Amino acid sequence: MPAKLVLYNYELDESCYKVRLALSLLGLEWQAVAVDVFPGKEHLSPPYLALNPSGRLPILRDGELVLHGTEAILAHLARAHDPSQKWLPIRGTEFAKVMQWLIFSAHDLGVTIAARQHSLFDTPGDEKSLRAAASHAIRIMDDYMTARGFAQADWFAAAHPTIADIAVFPAFALSRDFGIDHDEYPALRRWARRFRALPGFRTMPGIPDYH
Amino acid sequence: MSGGDNWHPVGLSRSIEAGSSAGTRLFGQELVVWRDTSGVAHVWEDRCPHRGMKLSFGFVRGDHITCLYHGWQYDQGGYCQYIPAHPDLEVPKTIKVPVWLTCEQGGMIWTTLSENPLPMSDDREPTVPLRSLYFGCGVDVAVAALDSIRLVPFATDASADTTVSRVNDMLFAVSCAKDRILIGVQAISDARTAFHLAIRGAPEFYEGTGQNHFLGWALQLRHALEHSAEAANSVVGQEVA
Repeated sequence: MPAKLVLYNYELDESCYKVRLALSLLGLEWQAVAVDVFPGKEHLSPPYLALNPSGRLPILRDGELVLHGTEAILAHLARAHDPSQKWLPIRGTEFAKVMQWLIFSAHDLGVTIAARQHSLFDTPGDEKSLRAAASHAIRIMDDYMTARGFAQADWFAAAHPTIADIAVFPAFALSRDFGIDHDEYPALRRWARRFRALPGFRTMPGIPDYH
Repeated sequence: MSGGDNWHPVGLSRSIEAGSSAGTRLFGQELVVWRDTSGVAHVWEDRCPHRGMKLSFGFVRGDHITCLYHGWQYDQGGYCQYIPAHPDLEVPKTIKVPVWLTCEQGGMIWTTLSENPLPMSDDREPTVPLRSLYFGCGVDVAVAALDSIRLVPFATDASADTTVSRVNDMLFAVSCAKDRILIGVQAISDARTAFHLAIRGAPEFYEGTGQNHFLGWALQLRHALEHSAEAANSVVGQEVA
């Protein structure tokens, strides 16, 4: 019998990593299908375009449901597979903040993905401007967590970790891949240390196992 | 540009948790700032003598910092104590990371690149950490901007003038009525400067609301500095055109 949750996965893709993190932090069992993104461009082949016409990973199959869009997949996993409802809180302010940071992840952090792909895979782009925009986006996160710290709040959206933390973690954790060190983001360093200590946390290439 | 015999702040004490490390630079020289699990802060050259890997990429266990590359472990004196690839080897004393004098005061971690530094003043009054700010300009330009933003008092309602004073070579204070913000100035390089900001006063009074109050001032200061830099750049652009 096939596994219920199937992730079409590329190990070096930080968006796939977000879904792997969520699956692991939620303690779920899943089956990964390796997709040859680089150099094979398999995600742009007709079978994958049939699953996601946008030609991007990750893609999640959950029974009959085939879902693309990283933040939508995170929200689905939390809603459908987290009985505690902590990873996607229902209550007003916490829900609103999760949505704010999911959209920040999907929109503002796109430049960190572009910067990393330019560094690792030589995709088109101007390194200097990509790096400046990426560091600006990461600084928005550090400013926010600095102020959260004054209220003794350890996480982005609630008193506990949510899918908002999962969504924004790789941009910071992998920033050295595109030439941005962690030196100037003390609030994010503290938050990332807490994040790494969560049960079920896992790394990916570019994120050291030891910390 | 060099540090002379002075002490220099390299971060807020709060920013380096026990058992963690971070990289920084002072006059362009790469440093690792780390805190052992007993709570003592250390500032070293940020380079493993083995292959030159940054020790700030490594990890802290107990009173050791370990290089991420091959796991060489260094004790608090900077001496290598253990090499995993040669577990039975008694490591020669010559394998040592350069270690700089380190102390904590005013809510900041201070170091000196001098072997005969000037004495550090003894300041044990409490502080409350605010945040660090990083600017793409030299120390002089950054310090000159300190009096550009008026400080709104928190401890009293009375309006008062904002005054800027120099406490010592790398420490400034911006005061208004009963409130006082300490600014530790770090010359990261000729073109990059950090301000480490702490509120002078008791944690039970300033933590939370007081920190948020002065965070607004800090962000205004950063905005003013970044936008004055943009203005200066645009003038240069016009001249070229």
